[in-house]
Amino acid sequence: MSSFWISCLSQFEKELPPQQFNTWIRPLRLEGEDDFANGLRLYAPNGFILKWVKERYLSRIEELGSAYFSAPVSVTLMLGERSAAPAPVLAAAKPMAATPAPVPASAHSPYAAPASLTPEKPVEKTLPHYEKTRLIPGFTFENLIVGKANDLARAASVQVAMNPGGAAYNPMFIYGGAGLGKTHLIHAIGNRIVEQNPGKVVRYVHAEDYYSDVVRAYQTKSFDAFKRYYRSLDVLLLDDVQFFNGKNRTQEEFFFVFNALIESRKQIVISCDTYPKDISGLEDRLITRFDWGLTVQIEPPEIEMRVAILKKKAELENVALDDEVAFYIAKHLRSNVRELEGALKKVLAFASFHGRKIDLELAKEALKDLIGAVNRQITVENIQKTVADYFKIKVADLYSKKRTRQIARPRQVAMWLAKNLTSQSYPAIGEAFGGRDHTTVLHAVRTIETLRTKDNELNHDVHVLLQVLKG
Amino acid sequence: MRQLILELQPETPPGLDNFVAGSNGEVLTGIAAWLEPGNREPSLFLWGESGAGKTHLLRASGGLYCDGAADPDLSFLGENPEETCPLHAIDNVEALSPAGQIALFNLFNRQRATGKRLLTAASRPPQQLVLREDLRTRLGSGLIYRLQPLTDAEKIDALMAQATARGLRLPQEALDYLLLRAPRDMRSLSALIAALDRYSLEHKRAITLPLLREVLHGPDLNPTP
Repeated sequence: MSSFWISCLSQFEKELPPQQFNTWIRPLRLEGEDDFANGLRLYAPNGFILKWVKERYLSRIEELGSAYFSAPVSVTLMLGERSAAPAPVLAAAKPMAATPAPVPASAHSPYAAPASLTPEKPVEKTLPHYEKTRLIPGFTFENLIVGKANDLARAASVQVAMNPGGAAYNPMFIYGGAGLGKTHLIHAIGNRIVEQNPGKVVRYVHAEDYYSDVVRAYQTKSFDAFKRYYRSLDVLLLDDVQFFNGKNRTQEEFFFVFNALIESRKQIVISCDTYPKDISGLEDRLITRFDWGLTVQIEPPEIEMRVAILKKKAELENVALDDEVAFYIAKHLRSNVRELEGALKKVLAFASFHGRKIDLELAKEALKDLIGAVNRQITVENIQKTVADYFKIKVADLYSKKRTRQIARPRQVAMWLAKNLTSQSYPAIGEAFGGRDHTTVLHAVRTIETLRTKDNELNHDVHVLLQVLKG
Repeated sequence: MRQLILELQPETPPGLDNFVAGSNGEVLTGIAAWLEPGNREPSLFLWGESGAGKTHLLRASGGLYCDGAADPDLSFLGENPEETCPLHAIDNVEALSPAGQIALFNLFNRQRATGKRLLTAASRPPQQLVLREDLRTRLGSGLIYRLQPLTDAEKIDALMAQATARGLRLPQEALDYLLLRAPRDMRSLSALIAALDRYSLEHKRAITLPLLREVLHGPDLNPTP
């Protein structure tokens, strides 16, 4: 690395918060220092970084350059990594490469959030492989939790991976709701095939990315290359085919790819969020073809499986999870594995922040916002509605000029709630209650505060309303 | 009287160090730890009511910021959908259009697959978002933090600190007056402190209740944030 750039980096490291420095400055690479009179070239790995640096940091870099070389220096920003040393360019995207001894985040900070629960170690190990196959190495059969919900789908997937292209399983169609592990399963098929047959050309593609490829081929008039590429694959793993909905040109292209691959006994695996016949906006000729091979379903996991998933994921984080805690989380998050994972991360982060042991009480506390809470956005309007319902009066009475006790007290309660549950100002609250003065609101708030200590019934009413509103 | 504009650009850009944490210590340290280069978690989701500090933290993250309410299609991703940066920060995800939701879905997948990060924010937790199920569950699969709005006492402390940083002396009665009459979210309050600072400089007057009244009730002033 050039000496000017090193000094420039260290200057920015001093001037910027670390997250800004790591995101925007570290990925840059400078060239042309030997011949600085003709200008320096600064390479950004992509357009976003280029634009950002140009707007915010370019003049500072030129300033530092002029000071360093004692002569005016111009810096041109360019796209691309150029030449050798890719390390500094990818440093920000390759977190592991930047730190010589990677320590799990939780180890060096007492409040660290847990690292990703998926065992994947992206990027450094995988980039060349990933570019070719787009397979995420962490999604394997070995770390897929099996239960009644997915054992058939898993068994069929293993068969396909052992014998790709076999007529009985081609195409293989996996369907199930969001967050049940379809993507995991089809990556696992791809990873197993690559592992056992390194020569096979395997490609994972999300339906949206396939669509982008079609659009790009269309724009650059390169349909021949597009067709050649997709027909050259040994295994095509197409994720989320429901995204083809209404995209006619994409469906047509896929129809031909599909036929060509099946004819030459190449394996196709397709995932979808519904049964083939229920996919909307898809041509019939595709739907019938999806049913040619084997169709398997993944169901939402039953409670035992959810518990097993949680325990396995916790184990990957070197945390022992009590049954009691695992059951608590599993009982409350039923519908999909993703949110189960999110809830576990929440519990681990909470425990780590408070330096507490993971037990049932802690799990309840950590998840109180996520589980079962109503958490509606609290506005003055829904406070008024709730209060009016509770006291069996009309919402309009709350805005009205009426000052009978029967109306005035609920109005004061509603004002007190508005003050305590929203960020509205006193004048804004007054305005929302029929254009009253802010002193009226202030008086109401003080009255309710005093009354709550003396009047048990009113205190009870306020308590119930708070519960209803806060969920 | 001159018009004062409340939505002033804050003079110091949002950072983790100038975030008034209040009871949000866990969130703040959680984000800081997540931003460390060694952290492997691809997604962090923030939720809380308007004014709780979501946008501040998103901007402070150093990520490429985009507001879903201002660009519901996330069209800034459009030109090169395959190109992403190390950290994207997408605000108000509940406001995304169907096309924007697909764009965010793709972004999520791409960031995860390439070891990069995605920071998102909304007013509700993922479980209550009305979004595509595949996107909603993805947002719910990472770290999730709730931001609590500051209490009045915490706001007073924060305002005092901001005033002191500006060399302003804010009498207690002025603070009480502010919290009674002004919008009570931190963004508006901070902007008000900046406005007060400017006004008192321009008019070479110390901050007193009468001056505060002039600033708040100026004829062209719109006190809503």
